Amino acid sequence: MNSPAALARTGTVNPVRSLLLMLGAGAALGTALAAQDADPYREMRLQMVSGQIASRLEGRSPVTDTAVLRAMETVPRHHFVLPGDVNRAYSDRPHPIGYGQTISQPYIVAAMTEMLRVKPGDVVLEIGTGSGYQAAVLAEITDSVYTIEVVEPLGREAAQRLTELGYERVRTLIGDGYFGWPEHLPFDGIVVTAAASHIPPPLVEQLRPGGRMVIPIGAPFQVQSLMLVEKRLDGTLVQRNMGAVRFVPLTGGD
Amino acid sequence: MIDPDARVEPPGDRDRQIIRRLEPAILLIGATGIAFEVALVRVFSIAQWHHFAYMIISMALLGFAVSGTALGLLGARIRGREPQLLRLGAFLLPASLIVCYEASQAIPFETLQLTTRPGQWGLLVVLYLTLSAPFFLVSWCIATALLIEPGRVGRVYFASMIGSGLGAAGVVGALFLLPADAVPYVLALVALCAFLLVGGSETRWLTAGTLLAVAIGTLLALRGPAPIRVSEYKGLSYAMRLPDARIVAQRESPLSRLTAMRSSMIRETPGQVSGYPMGRLGVFPEQVALFFDGGGVSPVHRFDGSLERFAFLDYVTSALPYQLVRDPRVLVIGAGGGTEVLSALAHGATLVTAVELDPGVPGIVDRLGSFSGGLYGRPDVDLVIAEGRGFLEARPDFRVDVLQIALLDAFNASSAGVHALSESYLYTVEALDLYVNRLSDDGVLAITRWLKTPPRDAIKLFATAVEAARVAGIEDPGDHLALIRSWNTATLVISRAPLDASRRAAIRRFAESRGFDVSWLPGLEASETNRFTVLDEAIYYMSARAILSADAEGFFRRYPFHVRPATDDRPYFFRFFRWRSLPTLVSSAGRDWVNYVEWGYLVLAATVAQALAAALLLVLLPLVLLRWVGWRAKGLDGARDPAGRGSLVACFAALGVAFMFLEIAFIQKLMLFLHHPVYAVSVVLTTFLLFAGLGSLYADRMRSSPVRQVMMVVLLLAALSVIYLAALPSTFRAWAGWPAAGRVAVSVGILSPLAFLMGIPFPTCLQVVSDRTRPMIAWAWGVNGAASVVGATLATLVAVHAGFRVVVLAAVLLYLTVPVALLGILEHGGAAGDA
Repeated sequence: MNSPAALARTGTVNPVRSLLLMLGAGAALGTALAAQDADPYREMRLQMVSGQIASRLEGRSPVTDTAVLRAMETVPRHHFVLPGDVNRAYSDRPHPIGYGQTISQPYIVAAMTEMLRVKPGDVVLEIGTGSGYQAAVLAEITDSVYTIEVVEPLGREAAQRLTELGYERVRTLIGDGYFGWPEHLPFDGIVVTAAASHIPPPLVEQLRPGGRMVIPIGAPFQVQSLMLVEKRLDGTLVQRNMGAVRFVPLTGGD
Repeated sequence: MIDPDARVEPPGDRDRQIIRRLEPAILLIGATGIAFEVALVRVFSIAQWHHFAYMIISMALLGFAVSGTALGLLGARIRGREPQLLRLGAFLLPASLIVCYEASQAIPFETLQLTTRPGQWGLLVVLYLTLSAPFFLVSWCIATALLIEPGRVGRVYFASMIGSGLGAAGVVGALFLLPADAVPYVLALVALCAFLLVGGSETRWLTAGTLLAVAIGTLLALRGPAPIRVSEYKGLSYAMRLPDARIVAQRESPLSRLTAMRSSMIRETPGQVSGYPMGRLGVFPEQVALFFDGGGVSPVHRFDGSLERFAFLDYVTSALPYQLVRDPRVLVIGAGGGTEVLSALAHGATLVTAVELDPGVPGIVDRLGSFSGGLYGRPDVDLVIAEGRGFLEARPDFRVDVLQIALLDAFNASSAGVHALSESYLYTVEALDLYVNRLSDDGVLAITRWLKTPPRDAIKLFATAVEAARVAGIEDPGDHLALIRSWNTATLVISRAPLDASRRAAIRRFAESRGFDVSWLPGLEASETNRFTVLDEAIYYMSARAILSADAEGFFRRYPFHVRPATDDRPYFFRFFRWRSLPTLVSSAGRDWVNYVEWGYLVLAATVAQALAAALLLVLLPLVLLRWVGWRAKGLDGARDPAGRGSLVACFAALGVAFMFLEIAFIQKLMLFLHHPVYAVSVVLTTFLLFAGLGSLYADRMRSSPVRQVMMVVLLLAALSVIYLAALPSTFRAWAGWPAAGRVAVSVGILSPLAFLMGIPFPTCLQVVSDRTRPMIAWAWGVNGAASVVGATLATLVAVHAGFRVVVLAAVLLYLTVPVALLGILEHGGAAGDA
């Protein structure tokens, strides 16, 4: 019962304790302000989550998984974009990251992560590290994130960025993602962000029965839908075309 | 009421030389202008995507209109100095071709970033302005030449048209020999020759010309042409970042830049390979990727004669026809790198006729030597370089068991909708009717398309097939059709005979074993669909049922995308956007709605809007400026009253739009007949420009009564256009089997009378203006230029919505307004002069 409110109720105010409490409160406030100064983008991140991801914005299905929302609130997206885009990092847009690659818009990253149904302890593989943002978001949920990038400078920069931001648990590899990462199979979830004419059969084989794979479909800057591939316990596949956007029923009346 | 400013002054001694050499110089300048335009379309198709190429070029062409307006504004102030102004323009032109081309390739413009980086819009404007400069100068030279010889505008116009015709033909030939990035430098040398013709003997001009020639020569010798800056988002740019990527061959043609790239990481398949047991059957053979303009990719497979390694091709949807016909004779349209040819052979084809449009493709496959295993040289493969439909039109007795139309574009290009405005005569009702007629009694036609989200491609294909079957007299089309899909492709099969029980069972078995969904099959139950790639609704099945029902019309009306069958009159299979659906799309997808429509269409609409706005500005601004600045007597206000100016605008705008409408419409019509877009463009452009040039020469001689002459010409034009509309399809069918040279000759024969007539009204009207209010010539030239740009883009928009028939009829109506407007110019346009 040491809170100022409790003290006020008892009416017995000890001046020394009050002073200490005031100093303590001041220090706490100072720490909070300092933390805010250290991360001036936190407010933008929270707004991004509440405004673009968790809300029913423009026909989107809101992301409701709290672990995903928390991850999106935590990962400093502005570190994953090019210097010229830092102020736009939290906008509802994909951004170029060089080498013909993009960082997906926040909603798509969140929706893909939610679709994977990642739990702590799950082993997740990402093909196409890009900036490393998706890997960082996954790493906020589980410790076992593996990511492969074929474009060497992009992969190097992402690995360094992830380490600097404290995501050193994310295992990065520069190379051909087509054959997956057999040393760490099976995977509970796989994200394939590199455009391909087909789902690489080796990735399907490395997916644990009951596991899920997510593939965004569309040209750069134009994710039109997310393909969810579920591997049933008998090893057969079922794909679901999860429109990134919910369209009003296409065959409705006039 | 003779306008003293408008009187034609005799040329001085030093200008006689320029007048003598005026026409050859204008011919070269006209050739340079059109050749630069064609070269830029190629450059920007390689650098970005072809729909943006047209946007950029059409805007740059407004430079044409600007110079006319500028000279019109300067009016009498430049009187007597026209030869010097021409020399200046001709001197600047060669340098501008090189400087502007190089600058345009240094501008870091990325079309795909337009939606995310506002600064890109600024770069787009800079690009427009940069590329406008050479067109401004070309037009400046022609307009000053018209002012130098005001009494002979028909001859100057003739020279510019002949030059343009030769330029159009010449640049297409040059693009077979030279890379597109070298063309601006060659054109700079052509323009330099034009300058030397008009430069006269003055030492300073001679020195300047020599210095320019030395500078261009030195630049080319030391550094060569500046390379095209290719977007980092094109497939080739991305693929070249693969660790072991290397270019093994490259070929240039007016059709495309074809690049063969090798990397161990290239693994292209014709769609999803479902259930392929890679562990048991092995990895796919190594591939070389063929990139078209750095975009669409077609793989060449390592082939050592062993077809077992191509077992994976039985795990894609396009393998469906081979489950229905044994040991077939196969026709592959769009053979490309040979995937479907190999698939046919692996499925036991006895003979494969491989039709490929681009001669560069088999050329590169051959150059890959032992890698491609001489695929196109095999005795059981018959390679034909032709457009698929033209090939079939020319061979009425040709029959096959499987007619396979492969995926002709890349997955990403398809999803971005870059082909929305590519006319495709391969996917029309008439085309499908032709294909079915070339099938043996048991034969099947198979067409595979990438799927889009929300669904539209396969639905439109199904609708087109149903309509084609009805046209062919099949009473119950549903009995002849089957549609299966993976997550990213759909294959439609049309069987000449109704699909019997054994064939239906084979289709079900194949789909089940590969994890494909059957979306249409006679007798299919709803519960059998939507099992492997699950959609919210079984939309393909529901759509197929709706299209086959009595309420097909209601379905087309309700469906949010344009999925009505494509026809030869509106051959835009890839256009799905409907304005009516925009509110639905926006309410569903918010700001992301643009991701779900075809960019090509939006870019065209934006281009038309921009061109219209810019044209209005160019036409109206001078009138406003005149009031403010008070240039009444000297400048454009030579036309004495607003009615005269209005008539002038109406006359030259109608001429500009109508000319382009007919030109674009006939390019489209001949594309089918000449079997090749490049041949169509070059034959139509060259014929139109050359014969329109002859028409203008004729106009120069026939000056007695301009209104009567124009009236006669437009009536003849109207009659001829209507006759052509009615008679061309049957004429083309009758001559379809002729060799290319014969078909070109027939095309020239058909087009030349039309083009000759089209060449007469413009110089006739311009001569009337010249004789009455000389400074107005430049402005009229500018109005016509602006209207031409609007007309070129608007023609496609009208064709998309209403068909080419309407484009031609609209042109006829516009031509019929010209005599009325000309009367207006004569009545209100100032002094009688010598008219």
